Amino acid sequence: MSDSILSVDDLRVSFKTDDGIVRAVRGVSFDVRRGETIGLVGESGSGKSVTNLAVMGLIPKPPGTIDGGSAMYDGRDLLSMGDRELQSVRGKKIAMIFQDPMTALNPLMTVEQQMTEVTRMHMGLNKKEARLRAAEMLEMVGISSPAKRLRDYPHQFSGGMRQRVMIAMALSCEPDILIADEPTTALDVTIQAQILDLLADLQKRRGTSIILITHDLGVVAGVCHRVMVMYAGRVVEKSDVHPLFESPQHPYTIGLLESLPRIDQSKGGELQAIPGQPPDLAHIPDGCSFRPRCPFSIDKCVQQDPLLTEVGPDRLAACLVDVETAERKAVEVES
Amino acid sequence: MRDLLSYLTQRFFWMLLTLWVVYTFSFILMRSVPGNPFSSERNVPPAIERQLEARYNLDAPPLTQYIDYLVGIVTRFDLGWCIRLEDYSVNQVLAEGLPVSASLAIFAMVFAIILGVSTGVVSAVYRGTYADIGMRTAAVLGIAIPNFVLAGLAILLFVFGIKIFPAGGWGTLRQVALPALCLGAPIAAYIARLTRTGMLEVLTKDHVRTAFAKGLPKRTVIMKHVLPGAMLPVVSYLGPATARVLTGSLVLEQIFALPGLGSHFIHAALQRDYTLATGMVLTYTVILFVMNTLVDISYSIIDPRVKLQ
Amino acid sequence: MNTGKDDRDVKLLEQILDESKQVQGVSLWQDAWKRLRRNKAAMASMATLCILGILAFLTPLLPLQSPIDKDLNNRRFLPPSLETVVMGQRDGLKFKDGRLTAQLAKFEDEIGELRTKQRSESDPDKRDAIDEQIENRIEVEHPFNQLWNELDSVSWGLCELRVSIFGDYAIPSIFGTDQLGRDLLARVFWGARVSLIVGIVATLVSLIIGVSYGATAGYFGGIVDTIMMRIVDVLYSIPFFFVVILIMTFLGDDAIKKRMNEIGIDQIMVFYVVIGAIYWLTMSRVVRGQVLSLKEEQFVESARTVGASSSRIIFRHLVPNVLGIVIVYLTLTIPSVMLFEAFLSFLGMGVSPPDVSWGLLLKDGVDALSSVKLFWWVVVFPGAALAATLFALNFLGDGLRDALDPRMKNRD
Repeated sequence: MSDSILSVDDLRVSFKTDDGIVRAVRGVSFDVRRGETIGLVGESGSGKSVTNLAVMGLIPKPPGTIDGGSAMYDGRDLLSMGDRELQSVRGKKIAMIFQDPMTALNPLMTVEQQMTEVTRMHMGLNKKEARLRAAEMLEMVGISSPAKRLRDYPHQFSGGMRQRVMIAMALSCEPDILIADEPTTALDVTIQAQILDLLADLQKRRGTSIILITHDLGVVAGVCHRVMVMYAGRVVEKSDVHPLFESPQHPYTIGLLESLPRIDQSKGGELQAIPGQPPDLAHIPDGCSFRPRCPFSIDKCVQQDPLLTEVGPDRLAACLVDVETAERKAVEVES
Repeated sequence: MRDLLSYLTQRFFWMLLTLWVVYTFSFILMRSVPGNPFSSERNVPPAIERQLEARYNLDAPPLTQYIDYLVGIVTRFDLGWCIRLEDYSVNQVLAEGLPVSASLAIFAMVFAIILGVSTGVVSAVYRGTYADIGMRTAAVLGIAIPNFVLAGLAILLFVFGIKIFPAGGWGTLRQVALPALCLGAPIAAYIARLTRTGMLEVLTKDHVRTAFAKGLPKRTVIMKHVLPGAMLPVVSYLGPATARVLTGSLVLEQIFALPGLGSHFIHAALQRDYTLATGMVLTYTVILFVMNTLVDISYSIIDPRVKLQ
Repeated sequence: MNTGKDDRDVKLLEQILDESKQVQGVSLWQDAWKRLRRNKAAMASMATLCILGILAFLTPLLPLQSPIDKDLNNRRFLPPSLETVVMGQRDGLKFKDGRLTAQLAKFEDEIGELRTKQRSESDPDKRDAIDEQIENRIEVEHPFNQLWNELDSVSWGLCELRVSIFGDYAIPSIFGTDQLGRDLLARVFWGARVSLIVGIVATLVSLIIGVSYGATAGYFGGIVDTIMMRIVDVLYSIPFFFVVILIMTFLGDDAIKKRMNEIGIDQIMVFYVVIGAIYWLTMSRVVRGQVLSLKEEQFVESARTVGASSSRIIFRHLVPNVLGIVIVYLTLTIPSVMLFEAFLSFLGMGVSPPDVSWGLLLKDGVDALSSVKLFWWVVVFPGAALAATLFALNFLGDGLRDALDPRMKNRD
């Protein structure tokens, strides 16, 4: 696709642990298009955070290793970049915000120190310019009397305010891509909405692409254009947001949607939890990794590990069963 | 600012209380030895003994002695006369010994902090390499070898062996260096370990990941985002470290024959010069208190979340 | 009858509580053990310490030379050697044939003769006199009392066993001899006993004071806690080492010594207590912190609702939970106590001869260091023994901390 600015191909990441080698990401591919918000959904441990950390070169090595794949940005592979080259991309071209704003900011430095060090390095601003820029960014994310607040330390801000600071900091070099790793999980519901609105608004104004990592399909429905569902280190379904909610193609997606409380649900209706536990990534069973929890599973699922295949226009799913008819797909999927 | 003032006032009050406790304790200890400090000596004529007793106020009832001495300390900072060192007041001994001990202690501390922090940082950053293992072993060795043994070996090696340091004496930098190094070595070792653990701990923190995600070079991240946090336990340790330096100086001043407080204290204790010993314990208490207060203040400067109280 | 039912309820609940705690406890300890086993340095240290402890305990049984028998004429500062040594060979001892076994047999015979004489004596006064004579002779002349210093009954038994096993054999002076011609290997072994016991006993004293103080403060909280911790704060600011030195010299005063001997207090016992009394401060703070966080937990609440008394809650429910951190501090306190003992011995205020400790050996060693001739062995061997022990304790302490630290658990 011509308008994609980041394309990840067959990314594989593993960690060496005492229980053996944990294969956290097992061949993930996706594109990020200019100006879109792409959602990455899955349970904790499904590999969504690791995927993005790998793209940023932030996997701690050891114990982590990148076993293969590529992440092309601007004609260069992020995965094979040297430290210095990576540093010129991180924070400047691709920025990241994290789940817990309580711990993601350095408690021993003022907000000003933390915000200005990015712009001074990447944009070559001097101290005064950097401070002005920081104040401007704080104002943009809705923090009042920003010049004064710059001198405060993170613990003097509330959780939502800190996440705003994180966003302001991440966007201050006008990056092409913003990776938001569960940016609202640690926040109150009302604050969550504010932060999401802020992200959507900023994107509209600046055209930044956003990779939004979340386990909350509600969030995805609100702000994303496209969605990838991850399970056990794989992408199991990839689709535009509306088709996904209307006709999910993978049993896991169906499970996720059914476990979502809905306003139009009858009062007595129970939420459907997905039974069982995600597989131990150190010892992944043969066949489809979702099979033990899958209500649609057939004999074939034991032997064959399904790959992502086209199931509609711009839609991919990795399942051997046609979930609408609960029959094996006519198209033979290669193993 | 007001916080700081009220904190200092409070600390001062506590210091006075502590000093009073120490004073009372050593007074009771001193006076529970049967007889007076002179009775154990060769036969002193009764007239002289009475004179001596009068000079040290020993003929007064114990409570009066207790109060008189205390009043002297509080109003005139007068710690009385030494019992053994003739015609020396305790204040004089302190005035002579303190500069020696203080410079020794300061050299030792500075050396310990510089060496400890830098090896700790290197050790943490290059975790698992031979450099790390070597430094950790050296650090444990530094903790496990008593500093008088270290001093003995150092004298053998540097004074008699390759002759780069003089054997004793006081005054020049070269003369301070060896005792200060021996005194600082175990503390450097401890600081190195604290720094290393602190660094490794902070390195796992989320905000360090943020710093890397901002594209800061590793060096900047380590120096600006990791090191300050890793220094917090080191700063806390500086209080006890001072106590250790003071204790260690007792031994090292003996070995290197330095005219500091430490050797006086040992003499005072061994010869039961109770006024001198009391005066010195009080002095050490003040030093320790001041140091602990400084530590608390610097901690609150590094970590804005901590309020002085 | 109502109370009977209540009692039963209380019992039942307590039982459930205990069971549930056991379940948690076991998993915690198993988990920690699993971690510890993976830590090679800590496991090696543990093995070293176990061996050291056993060797120290069995020292009288080992075929070592006498730790106190001096030989100023022939054996001063002998470097390490493999030359054979026979127990009792020194001329000055005047042992029969220059052998311990021969002298022992001779001495036993003489005592035996005295005993038969005593038995045949009819006058009870004379019998008592002979009895006293026997005791005096044993105290002064018994070969064991000439070669060893104040053996307690267990060590005496072990010594006898040693003679029956090894006879006159003794390990050569592989560590050399000291400035008074005593075998250094034997002294290092006997010194280990004193050093280890000082370390362990003093630490136990500090443990008892610290844990009960900290647990009480933490458990009661509020004003009690504030006052108790204020006291600790004040004590923290006192330069304790100096106070200890004052106390030790005070106790060294002849008059005081005499008075203490009258009431049967040993100087070394006071030493334990005094050292223990300084090291409890940190322990009490740590324990208090743990208790403060633990007491908010469910099981304490439930113990209280079933009417368990305060002291029962503290000692049956809280203390076991605090045990982990206490063990860690224990392994880290023992080395500092041992160092402090060495330090005091160096200043001449610690263990006094003819008792021997590593600190004392090191003091002798450092004193003997001179430029004229390099008697390296007198400082290297005791130093290595002390350093190895402290090394092992430190590694074990670190390993235990890593194994028991719940924060590390979450990180995995």
